[in-house]
Amino acid sequence: MTPIRVLIAKPGLDGHDRGAKVVSRALRDAGMEVIYTGLRQSPEQIVLAAIQEDVDIVGLSCLSGAHNSLFPKVVEGLRAKGAEDIVVFGGGVIPDADIPGLLAAGIEAVFTPGTSLEEIVSWVRKRVQKNHE
Amino acid sequence: MSDELRQLAKAISKVENLDFQALADAATLPLDSAAVHVIGVTGPPGGGKSTLCNQLIKELAVHHRVAALLVDPSSPFSGGAILGDRIRMQALVSNPNVYIRSLSNRGNVGGVASSLVSILRLLMHNGFQYIVIETVGAGQSEVKIASIADTTLVVSVPNLGDDIQAFKSGILEIADILIINKADLPGADSLYSALRESAQNPRLGWTPPLCQTVATEGLGISALLEEIHRHGHWLRQEGRLLEKRKRAAKFEVLELSRMLLQKHLDSVPAEVLARNLNRRGINLLQKLDKIYDELLNTFSEV
Repeated sequence: MTPIRVLIAKPGLDGHDRGAKVVSRALRDAGMEVIYTGLRQSPEQIVLAAIQEDVDIVGLSCLSGAHNSLFPKVVEGLRAKGAEDIVVFGGGVIPDADIPGLLAAGIEAVFTPGTSLEEIVSWVRKRVQKNHE
Repeated sequence: MSDELRQLAKAISKVENLDFQALADAATLPLDSAAVHVIGVTGPPGGGKSTLCNQLIKELAVHHRVAALLVDPSSPFSGGAILGDRIRMQALVSNPNVYIRSLSNRGNVGGVASSLVSILRLLMHNGFQYIVIETVGAGQSEVKIASIADTTLVVSVPNLGDDIQAFKSGILEIADILIINKADLPGADSLYSALRESAQNPRLGWTPPLCQTVATEGLGISALLEEIHRHGHWLRQEGRLLEKRKRAAKFEVLELSRMLLQKHLDSVPAEVLARNLNRRGINLLQKLDKIYDELLNTFSEV
């Protein structure tokens, strides 16, 4: 059994990583290998970490309101390095009105407060399995 | 460059996942390059290993290509893992001379990952001159790193126990260099006296030096680097380095055999295994011995 490798990253300047840590733990408890970058990462750093770590999927957490500019930059950075097969999803305090734009920019799912951990874990697992098929 | 890195990262994953073709490919790559220095860093959880590695890598990467392998433990329940050593190395992520890879030990006891030596082969082949391996937070008996690294650094910190702890066998004995990190904390002096005795015992002609560091402040790092280079220089004399690498290659065979056995064991329910050992113990052990014997006949053909 090959464990799914996930990078959980905090782009932007907010210092709130409780959500990122809770999600990381839930993914670990589902048998995944979760690499956590720590706070205040630039999109470039996140892209490099994702490639160096050969992850299947990147989860971005942002509570600063800068998601519209930061999340798409990670997707673009991965594409520029030929790593478009690495899936990107996001979460945080994100207004409903912003979600369609993020989805259009290649962030494949956006989980906002109130989402159950089961929902996130099962989405990640299904999405990565689909990529491996 | 980025493409090469991606390929390397993917090859490491395959080796980790015990892909036979990837393991066999890796096994053809030489492990004996004297241009590479493999540095292992071990010590208790929270002792500052990652922070220390960060400082060492920063210095080494000024003139050389450096790879870091950071091993963290897997969950005994889910098999998953949180790999968090990168957090201490954020400034190194965009350094073009540095490659950082986090590894789960995937249930392997002893402080390292089973496929580590195969991964070393890949990194050597990719032109890294220094390879820094950080083990799982280690207690007293996680000594596998000494079978893999050229130079083993054992990190200790003040106030973990009295001088009897320093007197015990195990992890302190594998040190090529002993480090007291957090040397600015109270208790550092008594740890220094306790460790000085272990440090002054020469082992196979090398007397492990005792270094003091405050990794968060970068204090003591240049003196530590000097000792690392001095040990590297010593290893390159009289074929010592080659001996180390031969040992690592043997360790690779042992670990891969063990992992394959584990894989097969995991597919049989524990109670069935226990029942059969209980009923047919002597037969099973004899059979196992015979299988190993036959296997090794093939393995040791000259």
